[in-house]
Amino acid sequence: MERLTPAARYTLDALKQAGADDAQVSVSEGKTEEFNVDAGEFSLIRSVYSSGASMKIIKNRRKGTVAVNQLDRDTIDTAVAECVAAADSGVEDDALSIASLEENADFKDGALVCDKAAFFDSVIKLTEDIKREYPQIMIEQLIATHFYGKHVLANTNGVLFTEEDGSYNVSVMYSAHDGENATSFNYFDFEFLDPHADILAMDGARTMLDRAVAELQTKPFTGKFVGTAVFSPACLGDLLGIVTGSFTGDLALIEGTSIWKNKLGQQVADDRFTLSVIPHDPRIVCGERITSDGYRSEDYDIIKNGVLNSFCLSEYAANKTGLTRSKSTSGCIGVMPGGENLDKLIAGIEKGILVCRFSGGEPANNGDFSGVAKNSFLIENGKIAYPVSETMISGNMAEMLFHVRGFSAETFCDGSSVLPYAAFDGVTVSGGGAEE
Amino acid sequence: MDDYIKRALEGVSEDAEGCGQTMRGRNVSVVSGNLVGNASFVTHGIGARFCKNGVWGFASDSACTPESAAAVIAAAKENAALLHSRRSKNKPALTNARAAQFTEARPFRDTDQKTLTDFARALDAYIETTYKDLASRSVMIRANCIEKTLRTSEGTFAYQLFPRTYVIVAMSMETADGATVELFDVLGGGEGCFTDYYSDPSLLYPAVDKLHRELAAKKEGVFPSAGERLCIIDSEIAGMVAHEAVGHTVEADLVLAGSVAATNLGKQVASPLISLTDFAHTAFGKRAPLPVFVDDEGTECKDAVIIKDGVLVGYMNNLESAMHFGMEPAGNARAYNFSDEPLVRMRNTALHPGKDKLEDMIASVEDGYYLTKTQNGQADTTGEFMFGITMGYEIKNGKLGRALRDTTISGVAFNMLKTVDMLSDTVSWDFAGYCGKKQPMPVSMGGPAIRCRVNIGGR
Repeated sequence: MERLTPAARYTLDALKQAGADDAQVSVSEGKTEEFNVDAGEFSLIRSVYSSGASMKIIKNRRKGTVAVNQLDRDTIDTAVAECVAAADSGVEDDALSIASLEENADFKDGALVCDKAAFFDSVIKLTEDIKREYPQIMIEQLIATHFYGKHVLANTNGVLFTEEDGSYNVSVMYSAHDGENATSFNYFDFEFLDPHADILAMDGARTMLDRAVAELQTKPFTGKFVGTAVFSPACLGDLLGIVTGSFTGDLALIEGTSIWKNKLGQQVADDRFTLSVIPHDPRIVCGERITSDGYRSEDYDIIKNGVLNSFCLSEYAANKTGLTRSKSTSGCIGVMPGGENLDKLIAGIEKGILVCRFSGGEPANNGDFSGVAKNSFLIENGKIAYPVSETMISGNMAEMLFHVRGFSAETFCDGSSVLPYAAFDGVTVSGGGAEE
Repeated sequence: MDDYIKRALEGVSEDAEGCGQTMRGRNVSVVSGNLVGNASFVTHGIGARFCKNGVWGFASDSACTPESAAAVIAAAKENAALLHSRRSKNKPALTNARAAQFTEARPFRDTDQKTLTDFARALDAYIETTYKDLASRSVMIRANCIEKTLRTSEGTFAYQLFPRTYVIVAMSMETADGATVELFDVLGGGEGCFTDYYSDPSLLYPAVDKLHRELAAKKEGVFPSAGERLCIIDSEIAGMVAHEAVGHTVEADLVLAGSVAATNLGKQVASPLISLTDFAHTAFGKRAPLPVFVDDEGTECKDAVIIKDGVLVGYMNNLESAMHFGMEPAGNARAYNFSDEPLVRMRNTALHPGKDKLEDMIASVEDGYYLTKTQNGQADTTGEFMFGITMGYEIKNGKLGRALRDTTISGVAFNMLKTVDMLSDTVSWDFAGYCGKKQPMPVSMGGPAIRCRVNIGGR
């Protein structure tokens, strides 16, 4: 932090001298090492050296923010002047604030040094394992990255956090091919600390590739029914991201469009549903330690046993709405698993669909959604019947959370979330030939 | 920066390029009267890429000094050598010419933050005072510019500016059943700086009023009946068909990965009415919405003709894929930031117009939908596409009926395009979006109104 802490202090001093009542600065440096595979072949190695400073000023109850990517004094001085000009052009707002001083800390976590040779070997092994075990799988794109970063967050209330971390990440986008027959693409993504890791052995990777090969037998689904949708862990994570944004996020509460705006402490879901933000869970890799507002990050429950326990709000949105700032700004989520494994969950479903990827429009504020069920399988009489193409699903997210069929006992961790399969009743499934 | 890159590239004989870039942006967001966003950013940096027998090394640094330029080029070369040593493709050097020369004549022009905040607040005040039936409202202004200098080992020099600005207004209303419907639109804007397009907020009032009328109709709207339906896709969203449904499947890197276009070159993939081009800088006789003159590999940009009279005739290529397919590169290799390597990307992708009048097209539909606004879309290498639809109407017996609530349409591009039997005679462009593909990229997309059959989600 030998360069960053002085840069942070210099920036805060400059902001104060420029008339700041309050100010916050975040400065960072990082290095990324990356391997790319395109169309099944290694294509590129990439190294990125980065730095950055973002600053926020509150002056006469008005806010300005500026971000730059260099830390020299000329750049900082120019940015400070721009930040002041932005605040001067702003609007008075009593909800503006910076973090109060609690307890400063230094955090260090993860794989701080990239073992480029070992990581390269692991990525080569992954591509060779896939080629050998799954000859029908085409890796459309693989991005393997080690990111190392250090970061200082400081403000004029005396807050000073430092953070240094590093981790490996592999993201694989793939499809299955058999002659001219090809499946939709799907992807998996893992974050981890061991450069020697057996990546194909990670949670759910082989299951997803097995399913892709099965999808070569896809049939278009015709007709329409209302039944049970079983969402894969990755798909559930995407859907819950929409739920948290539309129902509990800053804009939804400031605008007052959240349908849960008056539901704090009330039942908003089946009582088996618990949704938590878990940056400190030991399964999470390099989870958030400092919130973007400048507080120490903590785990918390958004929904506990079906009851809305907390919104996901920044300090500004909390001040604006009279609600409470959330304890973390992390996107690392966990959902409480159920008591039955996936096979047993499916065995109880008369008619439904196993959805492994959802490609849909952004749901309305009230939770109405519709989209294409990608990489998905029809369920009939308690069994997976066949993979489907050109099939759409629709429903309402808020209603769906009350219509829980069950959660699987098994959970899957990709390094940034820990999620089970989730089955919801009352979802409309329609195929290409559906006519009134 | 350019001098540092020029010096660092001197004597380099391999396939190499060096880029210096500055990206500037100003963002203002007023949400229900609150100035929640009042920000600007500036980033600078240098990037370089080397090719070694078909594999690439890339490096970048935000430091802009002679030393960092030399270090970036050395690191890129080292990365290419490392990959060549472990996974060589043993391909010959790139033989395509890339010695384009281009110097942007216009200077970069910034707009101060106060001009933007004053404009946004004035527009917000109009909405607040005029419309009391809104549950929420927001005004967002974006004014960004990418300034890029490129040199290649083959002699390219290109200095280009990519300025873009626009205003987005969003509104929502509560329905009788307690739900909320919302709608947004991009009001004006285009390639250039803010004051090129906006001077007086009152000039946008008619567009705001139209948006409010549409939202009021949507408030009383119905869900479509799910299934395959005859639809008129308005020209305002036809660009999504060009970009999402077709464009991504004909990007050569995805073709190599096995997209549906791989086995369809030279085949009839659409109605003979359909022609589709990815325009470089001039489209239908006018400057394209987001013109590109030299791509990030140093290739002079030309139009990439993709579908002609319903036949798939080409792909969008970078130098490497153009060599692979034996096609002429048209300048589709684009990098978003200095820290990004060039990827095969679209520029201004559009379906060509037909001869029909929109009103005749609507009148021709006995039972279907007229879809007028979209929000997002996704593509698949199989050609299966999806767009979110945020505004539309029933068509009953050739006349517009009730408005629609939010829904989604989907289809398989080359199947859907074969059902096209009418195209309107006017083209609309959408220039305010970003395409996502490892890196974001400003792109424009356009087309005429289309009569076709697609799957529509609903209840």
